[in-house]
Amino acid sequence: MTPKRLLPLFVLFASLALLVSACAPPPPPSAPAAEAPAAEAPAAEAPAEAEQVTLLWAFWGSPEEAKTHQMVADAFMAEHPNIKIETMVEPWGDYFTKIQALWAGGDPSVIPDVLFLWPTPRYAAEGVLENLQPWIEKTGYDLSDYWPALLESAMYNGDVYGLPRDIGLEVLYYNKDIFDEVGLEYPNDSWTWDDLVAAAEKLSIPGERYALAMEGGKYQLWVGQNYGSILDDMRNPSKCTLTEPAAMEGVKFFADLMDKGYAMRDADLSQAGGDTAVFLSGQAAMIIQNSSRVSAFNAAGMNYDVEVVPIPKGGQRSASAGGAAWVMSAASDNKEEAWTFLSWLQSTDGGQRLYTESGEIFPALQSTARSDAFLHQDKPPANRMAFLIEGENAKVGRFGYFPEWGELDGSIISPAMQRIWAGEASPEEVLPALCEQVDAFLAEHGYPK
Amino acid sequence: MTLPSEHHRSWRRWRPDQQWEGYLFILPSFLGFLVFVIAAVLFSLGISFSHWGLTGFKEWAGLQNYQALLRDPVFWRALGNTLFYLITIVPSQLVLGLAMALALNQALRGIGFYRLIYFMPVVTTIVAGAIVFRLLFSAQGPVNSFIEGAAALLGFGVEMPNWLGSTRYAKWAVVFLTLWKNTGFTMVIYLAALQGVPRELYDAAHTDGANAWQRFRNVTLPMISPTTFFLFVFQAIGAFQLFTEPFVMTRGGPANSSLSVVQYIYFAAFRDIRMDKASAMAWFLFVFIFIFTLIQNRMQQHWVYYETSE
Repeated sequence: MTPKRLLPLFVLFASLALLVSACAPPPPPSAPAAEAPAAEAPAAEAPAEAEQVTLLWAFWGSPEEAKTHQMVADAFMAEHPNIKIETMVEPWGDYFTKIQALWAGGDPSVIPDVLFLWPTPRYAAEGVLENLQPWIEKTGYDLSDYWPALLESAMYNGDVYGLPRDIGLEVLYYNKDIFDEVGLEYPNDSWTWDDLVAAAEKLSIPGERYALAMEGGKYQLWVGQNYGSILDDMRNPSKCTLTEPAAMEGVKFFADLMDKGYAMRDADLSQAGGDTAVFLSGQAAMIIQNSSRVSAFNAAGMNYDVEVVPIPKGGQRSASAGGAAWVMSAASDNKEEAWTFLSWLQSTDGGQRLYTESGEIFPALQSTARSDAFLHQDKPPANRMAFLIEGENAKVGRFGYFPEWGELDGSIISPAMQRIWAGEASPEEVLPALCEQVDAFLAEHGYPK
Repeated sequence: MTLPSEHHRSWRRWRPDQQWEGYLFILPSFLGFLVFVIAAVLFSLGISFSHWGLTGFKEWAGLQNYQALLRDPVFWRALGNTLFYLITIVPSQLVLGLAMALALNQALRGIGFYRLIYFMPVVTTIVAGAIVFRLLFSAQGPVNSFIEGAAALLGFGVEMPNWLGSTRYAKWAVVFLTLWKNTGFTMVIYLAALQGVPRELYDAAHTDGANAWQRFRNVTLPMISPTTFFLFVFQAIGAFQLFTEPFVMTRGGPANSSLSVVQYIYFAAFRDIRMDKASAMAWFLFVFIFIFTLIQNRMQQHWVYYETSE
């Protein structure tokens, strides 16, 4: 047990080391420095603007993603010589703890001015985010270019607090080789649940291959397609609606796919390395996932394409409108410049295009998605229109947009659903008790407000 | 006879004139303790009685955080899981640790090597261990393959569960990891205790005709009971504070079936940004452990044998 008692000490030193290392590296010198002499000419004309403002920009991501971010920062600085962007990058697992600690510390000199954040309403409720509504109105920034319902994910009390960078909507990826091998026609946009089940029956080989791999946490897609919902109102809920027939059918559809051995169970999927791994290895013929997998499948040279997700007869497309957003810290000393950067990031000619061309995102702005940056990349998948169709029909429903949603979903809803995905209990057994718990939680926290 | 003990006493004599030097010696570490432990702990007590958000104090809450805790089914679930860990891990660790210590308390060639092997998990990084155990206990992992293979050899078929995907078995995988990790520590402490048992007692018992079991039961066990008591209290507290093992292996799932209280504290603080709820849970757990240890302390007179107390 002695090592355990040393753990806090170790954590302390480790976090100190992290802090020191996070502060230590000097700002990336190369590109901006080369740019600087050119920038001096306009600066001399307007002495008031000669002072360079430095913005601290924070995001999470892998080293590759960090490179894209840096490329975006360089492009912005080339256009705006009076603004210097310093970046702060952390892995996903450490990012939120670090940001929370900075805000709790309250020292504006180390709090990032512009940050990547999720979920926005949670932080807006804590009062650490700048309300962007006045800035949007002042500069006439165009909100209508966003996919329908997407901005909802970044709103609090009716005001916009963040600008979503991308929209995490799912499409159906299918392995053409496996379809050819089985002699099945490729999926098309008129497929229904019945078509999916019929194909799954042919595609799956017990103990060897699953027709479908999809994370259990995405179950709301089926619920929404069938006109069901998790809560009666995802912003100001009064009760859980998972027991209503439409929602129950959606959950049952997914559970049946697993019970019949067509879809991988959630635990098996994560142990096998997630949907990317099983799709690459051919262990699953289809996956339902957002655009983030495209680069991995292209890098592996897979023979695949995408299609819209099949819906029930008479159902609706119901992709989830949600994505991490750029926000501005309320503690920023340079809000004017931060807004300039933020609105540039979220413009078709600025950040949106660069991120989209990097192949990492499906953009939040419709104009970017419909431009060459997304549609006419000479890389698979061929049927990129599927993303656009899902985007046009994106809806609120996957996430609650009230501060306690993370706790409600993380501690109560998702754990209960896991019993269904593990095959230990049927939706009829789980959902009524779950809804009682959810209703009690909502009452406890004073909803509806 | 009296001389050494007199000398002994004078060596220990109270010297008030040197007191300040003593305090000076402990000052650096005491300052650190004061700031990073005492102050932080008392601060969290204050947080637990207030509404506390990301940026700090909002308003006083009285007992509200504690009352909400009592109504929170997930908290009770986590507490139940933690008690499960306690009653499975602590006794098995004591029995296994003692068995290993008895086996290794012999003058064999290369005994140091065996002791090293059994102690190695204690100094292994727990995260690395947890990741290996996750692979071992996966649905088609080595553990299941081994048991299925062994059963097939014996002529019957067993269907092994997907340990980490099952609400019934995920806890057990965590238990096995914790045992693997900590039993070596128990063994080492027991080894030291066994070597402290005077040989004369065994010789006397032997002369009186006690067999091996009787010698173990009536000499060894009473003589090492203070060590057992220490290990029991120490490991019970460790089991109450279990965090890394379930966090890395299962993240508390599936369906909160392996969620420990400390893990729930972590989620409340850093996932849900509820420092007030997290602090209230931490204090609740503290009081719980405190009462539990107090009871243990009271109970020890019934089974712990101290040589000096005669």
